[in-house]
Amino acid sequence: MGDEVVALEYEKMIDFTSASINFELIYSEISLLVAAFLILLTAFQRHLARLAPLVALVGIAVSFYFALQQWGNQMSGFFGMITCDDFGTAFKLLFLVVAALTLLIAHRFLIVKRIGSPEFYALLLVSTMGMMVMANTTDLLVMFLGLEIMSVPLYVMAGYARRSLASNEAGIKYFIMGAFASAFLLLGIAFVFGASGTTDLRQIVADYSFIVSNFQNYLYAGAALILIGFGFKIAAVPFHAWVPDVYQGAPTPVTAFFSVGPKAAGFAVMLRVFLFGFEQMGMLTELFWVLAVLTMTVGNVLALRQDNVKRMLAYSSIAHAGYILVALCVGGNDAISAAVFYLLAYAMFNLGAFAVIVLLETRSGCKSDFSELSGLSSSAPYLSAVLALFMFALAGFPPTVGFLGKFYIFSAAIKSGYILLTVIGVMNSFLSVYYYLRIVKTSYFEKFEGTFAPAPYSPAIMVVLFITVIGTLGLGFFPDRVLEFSQSALFAFL
Amino acid sequence: MISPVFAVGELDGLFRWLNELLVSIGLPQPWQDVIMYAALSATVFGLLALIALFLVWWERKIAAHIQQRFGPMRVGWHGWYQTVMDALKLLQKEDIRVATRDKVVFFWAPVICFVAAFSAYVCMPFGRGLIVADLNIGILYIMAVTTFTVISLLMAGWGSNNKYALLGGMRSAAQVISYEVPMVVSLLAVILYVGSLSMVDIVESQSGWFNWFIFRVPFGPIAFVTYTVAAIAEANRTPFDIPEAEQELVAGYNVEYSGMKFAMFFLAEFINMFTVSAIAATVFLGGWNGPWLPSWVWFMGKTLSMVFLLMLVRWTYPRLRVDQLMEFAWKFLVPVTFANLILAGILKYLGYWE
Amino acid sequence: MQALEPGIVFWILAVVILVSGFLVVTLRNMFHCALCLILCLFAVAGIYVLLEAEFLAAAQVLIYVGAVAILIVFTVMLTSDLASESLIQHNENGTIAFVVCALFAIGVPYLIKNTGVWMPAKGELISDNVGSIGKYLMTDFMLPFELVSVLLLAALIGAIVLARKERS
Repeated sequence: MGDEVVALEYEKMIDFTSASINFELIYSEISLLVAAFLILLTAFQRHLARLAPLVALVGIAVSFYFALQQWGNQMSGFFGMITCDDFGTAFKLLFLVVAALTLLIAHRFLIVKRIGSPEFYALLLVSTMGMMVMANTTDLLVMFLGLEIMSVPLYVMAGYARRSLASNEAGIKYFIMGAFASAFLLLGIAFVFGASGTTDLRQIVADYSFIVSNFQNYLYAGAALILIGFGFKIAAVPFHAWVPDVYQGAPTPVTAFFSVGPKAAGFAVMLRVFLFGFEQMGMLTELFWVLAVLTMTVGNVLALRQDNVKRMLAYSSIAHAGYILVALCVGGNDAISAAVFYLLAYAMFNLGAFAVIVLLETRSGCKSDFSELSGLSSSAPYLSAVLALFMFALAGFPPTVGFLGKFYIFSAAIKSGYILLTVIGVMNSFLSVYYYLRIVKTSYFEKFEGTFAPAPYSPAIMVVLFITVIGTLGLGFFPDRVLEFSQSALFAFL
Repeated sequence: MISPVFAVGELDGLFRWLNELLVSIGLPQPWQDVIMYAALSATVFGLLALIALFLVWWERKIAAHIQQRFGPMRVGWHGWYQTVMDALKLLQKEDIRVATRDKVVFFWAPVICFVAAFSAYVCMPFGRGLIVADLNIGILYIMAVTTFTVISLLMAGWGSNNKYALLGGMRSAAQVISYEVPMVVSLLAVILYVGSLSMVDIVESQSGWFNWFIFRVPFGPIAFVTYTVAAIAEANRTPFDIPEAEQELVAGYNVEYSGMKFAMFFLAEFINMFTVSAIAATVFLGGWNGPWLPSWVWFMGKTLSMVFLLMLVRWTYPRLRVDQLMEFAWKFLVPVTFANLILAGILKYLGYWE
Repeated sequence: MQALEPGIVFWILAVVILVSGFLVVTLRNMFHCALCLILCLFAVAGIYVLLEAEFLAAAQVLIYVGAVAILIVFTVMLTSDLASESLIQHNENGTIAFVVCALFAIGVPYLIKNTGVWMPAKGELISDNVGSIGKYLMTDFMLPFELVSVLLLAALIGAIVLARKERS
């Protein structure tokens, strides 16, 4: 008898699929892929292979153009597998900017370290394409595939410096942990599918009450497993163990990409899954509360004792994930736009900080320990000033954009009444000041004792620094446009 | 569930009689089916064992004649039951087991090889209605079960604890994985055109005068040639027999095997050759289709012609080197078969030769 | 196939899957582990046949047994240390892992047992499942299908980048 009722209810489910194969929706992904193919096709000829970064940049630019065209359009296509809304498009633009900046940072570094090959850029493009797919779908299956397309090139990129043991270790570690996380994610998706009979979040939202009344436990188990899977990718705390080694071992430009790109993609998907798909699931708020507090605190406390700048930034990136998790805990449109704003801002100053580190690391024999920064203010005054600016932004000082990011997130939290969470977050920010300012202190007040050559100047990295400084300061002074942008970057579903 | 087709053409009457007998005895339903299956597999197994024995003799004769010799002449007319005697001899021989072998692996390797070779015949259409079970995934099933041969070779190589055997096993694995790609893709061109994986459907779509895929469509001959080349490699035969190259590896993976176990490897090898030929006959040469003669005669004739071709190739061409072998697979065969598949797709889309 | 009760076949396959899966993670010889993995994957293909998903079963055998498992065996053979050593498959985190796995192993049956109503599959199984898989891959699941090919491409590039000889 029960079965018949279920069958009837099942028939009544709303059909969301739009049967159009609408290539307009994926023009920007396609242009990245085309650029990647061009790079691979020309890779075997030396003089053509040199053009690879240029080809990649052009590909990114074209893709950026197409993504901009999509701004404001809300469409669903490919039988409901791709959903373009402003939230997704905002992330698309963010990923493209991150990819372009990473590319500019990496070019000089790869040549100096003699690990450069055109395939690097192809992998970077494919990975970016995976992120874009992740952000522009409401289907769990496509999200998973996007995640894998993003991750597989990253595994390789982490181990790209094949002569370096640390890089090999980073690659292997990231690969194993990533595969492990994917297994959790996939199992979670299977549970959700078992509960709801669909992988499309929109259908889950539509049938939520029916699913919950019959298969509540499955849905919760699935959601928990999905959370674990994405938790690995954004480095939330119980799942953060891989982060320091991978960040330290991977080639520094790749680390820069890690700390921003996959994290933003992971958050894009998490925002979509947990604040839209499972929005009505009550337990999640408490879960995210605990996760956010753990992630912030553990990240900041462990960062205090690091002697390597990359490792310190790794823990700092964990801490920043904690701040964004606050937005996930709070929920609502304010929190979503605050999270988007934060990710954008974080991309700016974190990439900037890494650009400086990369520039310093192109000197021979550098491992980016703290001691290497000593006396930087006298040998490279401008560079150390820029580094200090990024550190202030990471710590969240006004007038940088880092302050505004935190401000929006915490004000959204206070508005929804999460006072304790906000207090913990602000305390953590104060804690983080210690280790960020340690860099400033080392570069300004400690005497240089070694024999490092002066930091070389690379035009590409200068461009990156210029852009990120503008982003960090300019957006900090005039946040209106960005805020407007991030406030319109909300879910809109057909 | 895989539904068995008991309508086995000319053998139909025999099986119906057996079935009625079982019913009249009053056996319960499950046991009837078990006995029917056993009878069916015994029939196929016996037939294949006979074929394998014949093929061994035939190969020796062909080799001999190509080399200006007579080959076996003493046991019967032109030595026709030589292989039967050989098999009897092998059965009586001591089963030498190397002390350092990996016991379990060493034992199971020939068994798996033997079973994998024979299980392909579940959906081999020997004639009109002469098929054990017409699976709807027919050809895919054959491809799937034959992959176990590779595992058995690897197991034999490992279990023998002998470096030549190990090398032979590894070479064979590398080779078979590489050549499986062009082999399956060249079959795909035809499957795409037929629109079905079932062996019976593939054969029936080739009925009529010279409607065989090798003649009918432009991509047919190309696919046939690439398939044949890949099939020779799959069956580990010269010029692609580096897994058991005598001059380099003594005898490859089966160097430590003797007696009955060796016989199983040996028989399985010939069965595999017959399998790839039968697939070629079914997919490209029209299977059982043909005028006047009974369908199974056509099938056997075409298959044995293919076998003859493979034997001629074996005894007239020298062996390739390992790197040449791999380059040939990945840099030549794979691109050609994929281009051919695309051609087939375009032709199907345009609707020619439907 | 009424000859053998589907129930019996299922139980045999289940036991084979569980035992071989257990052996994969406990045996001390890497090659034996790989062979057990093959057995396990093959038994899973058997389950697919029981579920009348023949295409999936054949694909499982063709891809996992025919390619993936063989590559694993190949890797084991090429890595001489792995081949001769008797390895210990657990480390100091074994206890935690055991607790987590045990929780999971208890939790899933508990979930299944406490589900009151099951959602029945819509309609009859399509007999020509090869054809319908093809149709779905070209319509509803076209995008995921294409994405998988991009994923494989990425993996391919990655493998080549990591494995090729370094340029001087």
